[in-house]
Amino acid sequence: MLQLSAVRRQEPLGWGSCLVFLAALALAFVVSGLLLAMQGKPPASALWLLVHSAFGSGYALEDCLIKAIPIFLCSLGVGLTFRLQIWNIGAEGQFALGAVGATWAALTFPDWPWYTLLPTMLICASLTGSLWGIIPAVLRLKLRTNEIIVTLMLNYVGILILEYLVYGAWKDPGSFGFPMTSEFVPAAVVARIGDTRLNWGLLLCLAVGVLMTVFLRSTRLGFELRACGENVRAARYARMPYSLLVILVMGVSGALAGWAGFLEASATLGRLQPSIMSGYGYTAIVVAWLANLNPLIIAVSSFLLAGLRVGMESLQLDLQIPAAFGAIMEGFILLAVLAGGFFSRYRLHLRRIG
Amino acid sequence: MTPEILLALLAATVQAGTPILYATLGEILTEKGGILNLGVEGMMLVGALVGFLTALHTGSPVLAFVAGGLAGACMAALHGVVCIWFMGNQVVSGLALTIFGTGLAGFFGTPYIGRTAPGFDKFSLPVLGDLPGLGTIFFQQDALVYLSYIIPPLLWAFFRYTRWGMAIRAAGESPAATRAAGLNVLAYRWAALLGGGMLVGFGGSYLSLAYTHLWTNGLTAGRGWIAVALVIFAFWRPSRAMIGAYLFGGVMAFQLRLQAMGTALPSSILLMLPYVLTIAALAFSSWRSDRTQAPAALGVNMEPSE
Amino acid sequence: MRKCLPLFLLAFLALGSTCFAEDMKVGFVYVSPVGDAGYSYAHDQGRLAVEAMDGVTTSFVESVAEGQDSERVIMNMARKGYDVIFATSYGYMDPMLKVAKDFPKVKFLHCSGYKNAENMANYFGRIYQARYLTGMVAGAMTKSNVLGYVAAFPIPEVIRGINAFTLGAQAVNPDVQVRVVWTKTWYDPATEKEAGKSLLDVGCDVIAQHQDSPGPQEAAQERGVYSVGYNTDMSAFAPKSHLTAAIWNWGPFYTEMVQQIKDGTWKSDFYWYGLDKGIVDIAPFGEMVPADVQKTVLDKKAEIASGAYQVFTGPIKDQAGVEKVAAGTVMADGDLLGFNWFVQGVVGTLE
Repeated sequence: MLQLSAVRRQEPLGWGSCLVFLAALALAFVVSGLLLAMQGKPPASALWLLVHSAFGSGYALEDCLIKAIPIFLCSLGVGLTFRLQIWNIGAEGQFALGAVGATWAALTFPDWPWYTLLPTMLICASLTGSLWGIIPAVLRLKLRTNEIIVTLMLNYVGILILEYLVYGAWKDPGSFGFPMTSEFVPAAVVARIGDTRLNWGLLLCLAVGVLMTVFLRSTRLGFELRACGENVRAARYARMPYSLLVILVMGVSGALAGWAGFLEASATLGRLQPSIMSGYGYTAIVVAWLANLNPLIIAVSSFLLAGLRVGMESLQLDLQIPAAFGAIMEGFILLAVLAGGFFSRYRLHLRRIG
Repeated sequence: MTPEILLALLAATVQAGTPILYATLGEILTEKGGILNLGVEGMMLVGALVGFLTALHTGSPVLAFVAGGLAGACMAALHGVVCIWFMGNQVVSGLALTIFGTGLAGFFGTPYIGRTAPGFDKFSLPVLGDLPGLGTIFFQQDALVYLSYIIPPLLWAFFRYTRWGMAIRAAGESPAATRAAGLNVLAYRWAALLGGGMLVGFGGSYLSLAYTHLWTNGLTAGRGWIAVALVIFAFWRPSRAMIGAYLFGGVMAFQLRLQAMGTALPSSILLMLPYVLTIAALAFSSWRSDRTQAPAALGVNMEPSE
Repeated sequence: MRKCLPLFLLAFLALGSTCFAEDMKVGFVYVSPVGDAGYSYAHDQGRLAVEAMDGVTTSFVESVAEGQDSERVIMNMARKGYDVIFATSYGYMDPMLKVAKDFPKVKFLHCSGYKNAENMANYFGRIYQARYLTGMVAGAMTKSNVLGYVAAFPIPEVIRGINAFTLGAQAVNPDVQVRVVWTKTWYDPATEKEAGKSLLDVGCDVIAQHQDSPGPQEAAQERGVYSVGYNTDMSAFAPKSHLTAAIWNWGPFYTEMVQQIKDGTWKSDFYWYGLDKGIVDIAPFGEMVPADVQKTVLDKKAEIASGAYQVFTGPIKDQAGVEKVAAGTVMADGDLLGFNWFVQGVVGTLE
């Protein structure tokens, strides 16, 4: 009789990995289409509408780019930590704290010119964001506390801190008691690029992406992170104590998410309010895993997942598909890719026994 | 705080802790087998929705509760496919399952927001319910709470005295040795995963069938994650899981009652309590345990045999 | 014959163009799912009234996050040729204003805000009038003189509702006290029900709510006490406890606005209608409400609707006992919109 067994590949699958990835994506689309059909929505036209409305016009592309900015920054940070097998689920909370830090600077120094105020806001966002990343790092190092839970709980706490501030001390006296800060002075707002709706945060992303690529390719630590991802070895190679490495990585990750928060508060909203939270931190987890710490692929994946969000709105408007459908696709894409990774690492053997 | 309010608070604590207890017990079962399933939040939501829909369409709360459990097991099966069959990373697969499950529940459940379904109501147990104090707290609850009282000891006995239970523990501690002993490790892991998934589904359907008789897209509100944390806090022991679950149910119930009694504390701060407490409890239990109590092979996929 | 043909053609074309004239497109943006039997549901019922109009088609997007997402949704609608757009949550105000500037031909209406433009109006409903009436019912039916209020967020409209409820209750029962619990969520049945239970545990025997789920109603029914609903008639969820509810009735307002826009007579303004126009109302009384209470409340309703009685007329004291509104003075709309203090008799924080 026949027996199916799996053997680990001696060499990793090269271009085949790409095919596997695409097959996983296709499977996710098929399953999503099936679910749509179960609810009585036309699967093919819905999926086409999704793609078309996300990428089919200059306007939509602009929307995707704008939305991709916070996703990109969060994913970069989260991806860094994942490489070290540190599971940072806290990008949401770090995002919130970054927004809080930047808002503090904007509200405390409204008279400063933009070339001092904006960098100050950036620095404050880095400090508060990285703090929110370092707390779980320290707990993990000192008390062996599971960082998955701590970062997740800190998400909830971070959002509540934001709410506490906008309902209380930072509430705008001029907005009739609604929970939001006053509008930021123009010096605190990251400006738009020319006539488009894009903002200069895009430049920040570019800079960070380039820096990260250089770091990963040209430094010893970067190379080790890319190559093996095994935590202790990476640290030894870099002659850095493991604890310092963990704190550094979680701090940087938190700061990056904090920058995303700063940009959302400053460029997108122009003030701080609870609705700044959009779940970018959770989407970042999906992107980080799919992209495997390649900044370019992270950028592309962020753009694509931003497109998913943009396209979902058209699905809602034109086909009355519930907003939760986007999460279905995100989750299932990740599940399919995870399963597909099997074929990159193992070869199937069909043998005859007996 | 008068004695009446205290008793009411403790009774509410038991009820609020029950869904968390079911989910924690389920995750303990799964993790004892060596599988880390972080998809609890998504599984609870799917269980809650399926339970709710079943109650709505069949009118039978019991059938609905069972259906919710089965739905949880199906979601867990998805995790099993990705991790046990395809050797996917267990942490990420669990996170993906949460995202997927949340989306699935919201997608199918959105049309049912604002409907009500038959469910379980409280009733007092014959003799026990009349006990002063303890009676009010423990024995004037609904049937599912009573069921949750007997599951921890059953689970404890299962792990300690039955062949299946011991095999599951072995599969989680040292899969290689277990396989060498001639046991089918994967089968036991599947059993732990599916059984655990069922309990998690029960926890979810408790929320839509007993705690309330309603459905909404975010019904679990983070309870699944607290359950994952409580597994660690409980040192993977069912008895301690009860303590943990009631502790957290209590904090959730307490902060609302504090407001009702009249306090100057801002509600945002009060709402932080359950989450801060989770971190503190986790840090405390990790610090106190000299050696890790987790199953040794937790989260590690087994290499396929030749 | 040949001379008639062009005439026929012309007539046919004229007829055809009116038959095939573009339907007016009206879009609605909701902050929560439509089926929540609550706030968005009430707006959607209004949308259905507009849908029933001749020559009008409607569509909606639900669960739209405030902020950037809403700006994009509103912009999409405008770009897709929608003629009228209604945005039903406070947080949509700034995004809508931005889009309104770019689309001068489209008419924008924003609910519960205050910024407007030539093609953007604000509207809301004086639900506090209905709250006052429900407070009267609660005050009459309570035996413990402690009323419970499960509230979502400490924003002016919620505070205003609590104050109106309290004033109404005190009008029939001066000793009454209203306890407030904040859930910090608009729709979370589990938390809302638990909040209701916690109020019941401290001795409340009527539970009111500014929440979108019937969770608190369930809590009251289980305990065998009374409850007051919100947004829509919630008696289906708690038939034995539901006294009445403060409900929205957006249909007449929405159809009036759309008709005015169609006719070209619409002007941007701040529309804040109440019982007088039937935008707000109270749900039918439950059987347990005695006839004399019903009569008192309905009489008051007529008084408010005719303008003879204003809910927030002084003397009104705050929680600390300081008189904030002098006797005989009526609170101005501006003060009502920015309501940030509780009246005497309310036990609760403002954050």
